[in-house]
Amino acid sequence: MIYINQKLSIKNEHYKILKKLQKINKPIEARTLSEKLKIPYEKLMSGAIFSLEQVGLAKFQEEEVEVITLTKEAKSYLDSGLPERQIYDVLTQNDRKEVKLLDFSKEIEQELNFSKRLFFVGISKMKKNRWIMSSKAMGYEQIFINNESPEKTEEEQVLDLFKDSNSDSLSEIPKKLQQAVNSIYNRKLVTKDKKILRLVELTPNGKKITEEELQLIDDEIKLISSEMLKDGSWKEKLPNLKNYEVNALGPNIAAGKYHPLTVIINEVREVFHSMGFEEIKGTIVEEAFYNFDCLYQPQDHPAREMHDTFYLKNPAVGKLPKKKVIETIKNTHENGGNTGSTGWGYKWSEEIAKKILLRTHTTATTIRRLSHITKKSKLPMKVFCVDRVFRNESEDRTHLAQFMQIDGIVIGENLSLSDLIGQLVEFYKRMGFEKVVTRPGFFPYTEPSMEVSVYSKKLGAWLEMGGSGIFRPEVTYAWGIRDPVRVLAWGLGLERLAQIKLKLGDIRHLYQSPISWLREASY
Amino acid sequence: MPSLTLKLDRLEKLVGKELKIDDLEYDLQWIGLDVDDVNKEENEIKIEYDPNRPDYSSPEGIARNLKGYYEIEIGLPEFQINEGTEKINVDPKVRKIRPFVVGAIVRNIDLDEDQVGTLMNIQEALHWALGRDRMKVAIGIHDYDQVKGPYIYTTVKPDGVKFRPLHMEAYEMTPKEILEEHEMGIRYAHLLKDAEEYPIIYDAEGKVVSLPPIINGVHTTVTDKTKNLLLDLTGTDFKAVNYSLNIIASTFADMGAKVETLNVIYDDKPDEILKVPDFKPQTMQVHLDYINSYLGLKLSANDIIKCLNKVRLNASKTKNKNILNVKIPAYRCDFMHEVDIVEEVAIGYGYQNLIPVVKEGGFGKYHHAEVFANKARDIMIGAGCLEMVNSTLSSQKDYEKLGLDFNEKEQIVLLNPVSELFNTTRANLLIGLMKNLSFNRSAEKPFRLFEVGDILLLDKNRDVGARRELHLGVITLSESSDFSEIKSLLDHYFRTLGILNDVIIKPISNPTFIEGRTGEIYYKKKKIGIIGEIYPQVIINFGLNYPVAAFEINLMPFFKDQEE
Repeated sequence: MIYINQKLSIKNEHYKILKKLQKINKPIEARTLSEKLKIPYEKLMSGAIFSLEQVGLAKFQEEEVEVITLTKEAKSYLDSGLPERQIYDVLTQNDRKEVKLLDFSKEIEQELNFSKRLFFVGISKMKKNRWIMSSKAMGYEQIFINNESPEKTEEEQVLDLFKDSNSDSLSEIPKKLQQAVNSIYNRKLVTKDKKILRLVELTPNGKKITEEELQLIDDEIKLISSEMLKDGSWKEKLPNLKNYEVNALGPNIAAGKYHPLTVIINEVREVFHSMGFEEIKGTIVEEAFYNFDCLYQPQDHPAREMHDTFYLKNPAVGKLPKKKVIETIKNTHENGGNTGSTGWGYKWSEEIAKKILLRTHTTATTIRRLSHITKKSKLPMKVFCVDRVFRNESEDRTHLAQFMQIDGIVIGENLSLSDLIGQLVEFYKRMGFEKVVTRPGFFPYTEPSMEVSVYSKKLGAWLEMGGSGIFRPEVTYAWGIRDPVRVLAWGLGLERLAQIKLKLGDIRHLYQSPISWLREASY
Repeated sequence: MPSLTLKLDRLEKLVGKELKIDDLEYDLQWIGLDVDDVNKEENEIKIEYDPNRPDYSSPEGIARNLKGYYEIEIGLPEFQINEGTEKINVDPKVRKIRPFVVGAIVRNIDLDEDQVGTLMNIQEALHWALGRDRMKVAIGIHDYDQVKGPYIYTTVKPDGVKFRPLHMEAYEMTPKEILEEHEMGIRYAHLLKDAEEYPIIYDAEGKVVSLPPIINGVHTTVTDKTKNLLLDLTGTDFKAVNYSLNIIASTFADMGAKVETLNVIYDDKPDEILKVPDFKPQTMQVHLDYINSYLGLKLSANDIIKCLNKVRLNASKTKNKNILNVKIPAYRCDFMHEVDIVEEVAIGYGYQNLIPVVKEGGFGKYHHAEVFANKARDIMIGAGCLEMVNSTLSSQKDYEKLGLDFNEKEQIVLLNPVSELFNTTRANLLIGLMKNLSFNRSAEKPFRLFEVGDILLLDKNRDVGARRELHLGVITLSESSDFSEIKSLLDHYFRTLGILNDVIIKPISNPTFIEGRTGEIYYKKKKIGIIGEIYPQVIINFGLNYPVAAFEINLMPFFKDQEE
């Protein structure tokens, strides 16, 4: 950080703390610091440390540590010593060298008011420490003193740490005593907890900054008040105005914001509008007739089955259009009708066509638009649809039962596959993809059909974006659209675009709207 | 889409050309295949093919088109089919349940592991693509040396015969038992649901060859010792069984086996002998100007013939300069219209060689609903609200959580929901907004959320029995969310539209809201929505513990006024 002509200003009292930290010259736990400085913890953190951090002189980081705390039992040993020490002291009274265990237990019970359990814990510890030895040579157990003046055990040293620090809890235990901590933990003399430690540390700048480089102020002010402006006192108080770390993030605000999906939809919309397309909308609850039959999908086509399409129980059947239209579609499926096609060669059923479903593609809406075209309609006509469609799928990270589909069509005379590629190249260019490749593909309602891939600079990869093609005569003839009038069509999934643009891992986020994600989202 | 793994060395043999895996990855797309995965260590490419091209279900089928693409071999592929003497007699009774049977004899097979895999793959692909899961076509492959012709295709009573079926060879079973107990029987029983008798194929000695479309008899099982095969294909669609046979037979021929025809004779028409497989190509006529106009090209007749030859079709000129005669191989099932030839010309020409043509023109037009929706979004975002986008699919349980009764007769109901989470559609935006609060309960408060979106309602006046309605919903949650906060937001919206004076709120009682703090919203005497503080039990139902207030209005009544 470089300050030219302007000194960093901090409060005088904070400077004292800075100097102390410079002296300590290593990370220090905030509570320890507060004890050392005799400043209440909260005040220290929200006052000095916060201010020093704001001007970039100090920083603090959080660290999870293990804290051990004395149990009630252990506290009672702080002065009198661990059971083994107390027992040993009794044993060595009167220069005794040996004692019968059974008698001794009674003695301890009287003398120290120890339970049998506690007595044997003590004896076993004493043996382990090699303070005593035992023998059953006489037919009963005897114990002998083995060590005349035993040193403090590691467990006792741990207890002393508590005693010295005058505290019931400790987090910093010397490494060599770690094992002893575990063993007194097993003795239920301490409990273990996790605790967040806040370590305060000076930044490199904080470590070397000197009094000369600082402007020390006694009475810091945060705001220029209306009073100050009115009475002119701002002039004298300005030097006391707290400086901000101007590069720090401001606090969060709960702002109003577009959902990223809306932003992307509107972008797509603008691209279509800029290319001279009109937006159309249509019914979401749709008849199988428009969704499948009009698109020359045979009635036994797998896509029409229950496990791919949501059918409705209520409403269950639709009204179908005029008899003449139904008849045309029926003939087209059965024998090609007047389209020049062989047709599928099966018996078409009105009952199947009547079924109501949630549309599986916006092409159903496009077809309804075709039905409005008359000889008087002005061609070429360009329309698009961006709307919700449904598939009977279980949702996971990459699949949705409901999603947005984009459909564009151009209706005009003598339109060709080269025109369609031209529209696609132009469309994707305006969507931000410079390179577009079209290859042979298959869709039941277009011929020729093309798969479309674009190159994403952002991901450095080719992506399959969707399909396209020229509507089959079997699709358009029913609506009086006959060669050389043709319909160019393409479609793509919006979520695919969204995943690329938003770098989204889990596609379900789009419809769960996690607020923290939305507040962070950039577009 | 169906998929297939191609081994480079096998493909090289079939194509007759050294292939590099990188080149192949590039080239395959131009004959209509989708490269899914390239394994350079194993020299394998996993491809996906479109359901209209079941002939692509084998490396042999793909090699045929690759040879054309590389111009190693062009035009209609030729296959050696020998005239056979073997017969199958058909009892007219099958017409009622499964009318068609075709087949072939395949001699001198010497299949390696890969080729056996290929056969299984083709069988599966055909059952799926042309057979509609064995309904339209079912395929049986048998060891020809274990049976004796002539064969009989007839019907049998459910308990009229006992035989050992494949996969359960330890048991002699009747057809009825197979349908009830055999794994394949259970799976395909629905195809014979209404039949009084079941289709069956016997050999001359009365042994059961197969019980189509369910299972074969065990004694015709194909093993690694099998030298000659009998194929049977039965079904309900004459074209489909023949296409399927042609695809299998052409693959066997490409594998080097000798294919022999089978004579199919219906008992009631003993003079009509059907010889299958029939490799006579399908013929179609196309017009030059039609093709050129469709592709935006100016190809000559010779150019077009060359393109078609590359995709393994034949074409020849006719007296009419504008018309070509096209011959289509018998294994291709995707030609219904002249336009299907157009696509073949495009593939032969190369999609990559088409030059994009950009035609300008047309006037764009905004949809008034979207214009109005975006305006609503702008107004609410200006008031500090965060936009939500929620699913149209909804659950009956969500309605109950809102304290509302769900009546199947008055609501849209899904017939085949995936789960209880989606068994209806939303009739209000409030459901989604409450779920947003619930989903985000640990996020930093306060919340001011809104959604502009369509809800679905039953409507007897529509051909589809339902309509969509554009709504605006706003919801707030914080320590201090109350009626006055939500009312300020509502007022802000109407004020910005300039219609605040046309709106009045009338107190009502509603199970979702607290009485005395809720009302219906009227615009020019028309009820358009509701506003209020959410009833505490409803808040709790959604796992929340802060006060919530909301409003929801139908935006449809405003459009017209706004447009004019």
